[in-house]
Amino acid sequence: MKKLMAVAVLGGVALVSGCSDIQNSRDLANPNLSGQQLAVQVCSFCHGAGGNSINAQFPRLAGQQPQYLTEQLKAFRSHGRSDPKAMQYMWGIARSLTDNQITELASYYYGQIPTHGAPTDTALVEQGNKIFHNGIPETNVPPCFACHGADGHGHDNFPRIASQHANYIIKQLHVIKYTDGRPQAAIMKGVAHGLDNEQIRAVATYLSGQS
Amino acid sequence: MKYRISSGMRAMARHLQWVLPTALAVTTTVVSMDAAAVPAFARQTGQNCQACHVGGQFPELTPYGRLFKLTGFTLGQRASVPLAIMGVFTAVQNPGDRAVNGSNVTNDGALTFATSSLFFGGKLTDSIGALAQYTWNNAYNNGQNNTWFPLTGTAGSDNTDFRYAQHITNGNNDLIFGVSVNNNPGVEDVWNSSAAWGYNTVPGSFGSDNSISPILNQGLAQQAVGAGAYVYWNRTVYAEVSGYRTGDGVFSFLTQGIPSSAMNYISGTAPYVRLALTHDWGNSNAMIGYTYFAPDVYEGNLNGGPYDAYRDNMVDFQYQYILDPNTVTVELSDINETVNYGSAAGSAMDTNSLFRAKASYTYEAKYGVTLLYSNGTNNVNPTSPVNTLQYGSTAWTPEVFWIPIQNVRIGYQYTIYTSLGDIAGQQALGTMPVQLSKPGDYNTSFFYVWAAF
Repeated sequence: MKKLMAVAVLGGVALVSGCSDIQNSRDLANPNLSGQQLAVQVCSFCHGAGGNSINAQFPRLAGQQPQYLTEQLKAFRSHGRSDPKAMQYMWGIARSLTDNQITELASYYYGQIPTHGAPTDTALVEQGNKIFHNGIPETNVPPCFACHGADGHGHDNFPRIASQHANYIIKQLHVIKYTDGRPQAAIMKGVAHGLDNEQIRAVATYLSGQS
Repeated sequence: MKYRISSGMRAMARHLQWVLPTALAVTTTVVSMDAAAVPAFARQTGQNCQACHVGGQFPELTPYGRLFKLTGFTLGQRASVPLAIMGVFTAVQNPGDRAVNGSNVTNDGALTFATSSLFFGGKLTDSIGALAQYTWNNAYNNGQNNTWFPLTGTAGSDNTDFRYAQHITNGNNDLIFGVSVNNNPGVEDVWNSSAAWGYNTVPGSFGSDNSISPILNQGLAQQAVGAGAYVYWNRTVYAEVSGYRTGDGVFSFLTQGIPSSAMNYISGTAPYVRLALTHDWGNSNAMIGYTYFAPDVYEGNLNGGPYDAYRDNMVDFQYQYILDPNTVTVELSDINETVNYGSAAGSAMDTNSLFRAKASYTYEAKYGVTLLYSNGTNNVNPTSPVNTLQYGSTAWTPEVFWIPIQNVRIGYQYTIYTSLGDIAGQQALGTMPVQLSKPGDYNTSFFYVWAAF
């Protein structure tokens, strides 16, 4: 019993010391936490260390364009982006982020080195390569690089799509094609409608393997 | 808390007619709700239940849910009222038991208000958080004396886990370490294959049988209080050392609701050691683990005198595939136990084991199917002072469930017994009714409605 009492006392000490433990904080309502600390203590649980997520449920954020990421985080916070996963996962996380924290988060992830996948379906990759560079004239799909850059790294509020999980790109193109959950991506709606499921899969697979 | 037959009750069972069918019914139905999907946590993070629970299928944790727990429930923003409530309705149909004991709420399939809980859950400081559950068992008598009636209900402490945690990372190394104070050996675990989690969803969930279950399988839940330290390094190696003592004195609030006549008192401090290796790749993750638990428990629910030395070893494994809209979970655990009876002449010993394997699939976090296999064996030393029969059981439990909204789950399961130990021997001793001579006579169907807000 004495040992348990000792544990209780230690726990009490820890409780008191824990009150000011900002370096270890995962408090999403504390505006004093830096974006980098939020990235390490909170975001990394799903988006991986340095923004390179393992599970394709969660997009890779490493190297993402800061203006794009800032827009997305603000859209999560304002509920302006309402695809199901945004609502289920990100509305709550972003609800109390400050503008400054969002800027710092975007800057942090832009500075991280992205990793990429290694797709094995060479035929699919080649089909995606053609779509990325040539588009699909028959359905008025422009080449992806026209907006997303020659390497797919994006610029301004055009997102980096190179090295992204294929499954994430596929799901987002379906969200854009069939719903109005991402109004900021309205410019992509016509493009997405020009792509069938096979073509979406091809371009997503190609991009997942690009550095 | 899962019901467990104590050594004293085993001895008593020899002298009572029809105890076993009642015990069977009770073991099939008397377990309290595992602390699980807690809307208070969802309010803290602002996220959907499925962020932490695989396919919305509580209590099974996703990788993110495990990290949320290992970092002390501290992620998010503190809720002004960190409370949640839960209610469970169940219907149990057991024709065999009805043929012997007549129709009653344990076997007639009538929908019954079974249990409700109040949860406190969430962050207290940047490093400290808690999950505390207080349960009102309306239809069940908390598994303490094999009685259902009258349905006056009992209230008591349920799973409780206070945690302190730190998370340090420098890019190359990632270290989470912390302390847990809790009232159920294993409830601090974050993998679904561990004994305290994964196999029981609501009161009466699958995996119940009449075998003598190893004490690690929640045999000291809400009776012991323990503290321990853990580390999780680079999301690869987990190690924990804890010690458990009887939850009395200043800690009796954690064992509240268990009368002293039903308490299992521990001699000294029981060591609990947990090791696990984990790996994430693609949309999959896996864990293989080991647990050692060694309580010395005084006999006869007394706080002194001779004690029985339990030595439990568990090997467990878990695999998850998570990619919307599909999730697949596979869990295995194998607990092997030796019991050295202190009051016996010489060194009388029993060995008990419990093997469970479960596979689940969910679609769109709305529809799910599960299959559980459970095999408990009790190998009896002929010189054992308290146990002369082979109990043990083997059962299969398929389940289907539906989650219409994230706060509600409706499920149906059917438990098929393929063996129940030495039935003829138990009938000869009068501990099993002669009318029911096949394992299948004990098959049980179970319907539940669960809701939490």
